[in-house]
Amino acid sequence: MASHPLIDAHLASLARRLPADTVDELADGPIETWHHHLAAGLTADRAAHAAITEFGTADRIADEFVVQAHGRHTARLLLATGPVMAIIWGTSLITAKVWTWPIQRPITVAYGVALLTVVVALLTAATSRHSYRRTHLGTLGALALAILDTTMIAAVVALAPHLVWPMGIAIPASLARIGLTIQTLPRPLTN
Amino acid sequence: MKAEAQALKGHLDVLLLATLEDGPRHGYAVKEALRAGSGGRFDLPTGTIYPALHRLEQAGLIAGSWSRVDGRRRRTYRLTTTGSKRLHADRGNWQDFAAAVTALLERRPWPATH
Repeated sequence: MASHPLIDAHLASLARRLPADTVDELADGPIETWHHHLAAGLTADRAAHAAITEFGTADRIADEFVVQAHGRHTARLLLATGPVMAIIWGTSLITAKVWTWPIQRPITVAYGVALLTVVVALLTAATSRHSYRRTHLGTLGALALAILDTTMIAAVVALAPHLVWPMGIAIPASLARIGLTIQTLPRPLTN
Repeated sequence: MKAEAQALKGHLDVLLLATLEDGPRHGYAVKEALRAGSGGRFDLPTGTIYPALHRLEQAGLIAGSWSRVDGRRRRTYRLTTTGSKRLHADRGNWQDFAAAVTALLERRPWPATH
């Protein structure tokens, strides 16, 4: 059913900041309200103004989606637990004298760069207040962190001459983080 | 209105779940149910209902599905089993809390303390 140009413009403004599926869903709100006001006897223009007022500004709605975005929450959770994980793994690797393991230096450097990139991505997502796109970095960062966790566990199993007791905490902690990441992956709004 | 929205913080999730207890609703219908069910006190901007519904869906408390109405796509939400359990638990907690506050606010002499 047809809408009003004012409502279309409002939805176009949202479409610049939010995913298409979300805007499709949001469109239902002001259009329903517009029809409601038309049925109540308002002119098309007044009904459109009223519908937009009741719907809320594009900035407010988009910002609300950003604040409640899954990627942003995931990033914040991972950053909050990051220092503990760093201490656990740091203790494990120092205790196991990781510098004596047969790992080529470029691989170590690449791992460090990847870890740093993930942290930056998570920080970007966690601090996003107006950009919904930036919150996607939280999900991508979480996936990348799960891969880095898996890599670290594989390296320990394959390369460590012997296991040290802190690994008894570090490995289950990483496995738990991988499991949590997989479990909390966003569900696509496709059904 | 702003004060009402502020007062809703922390309670919005359970109220949204309650609006879906009688059956599936789309976003606008949820907003209307919230407004009508509160006697007009909780008349939130429609646009702020949708992010909360998305968050509840990601948490597995509600499930959405697309349909087509009047030529446009519409997403309708229903309560999941997990959501139903959460609603039941939150409702019980709220009733206990409300009963305690009501008992304290009733006009009567306060017990003496020493």
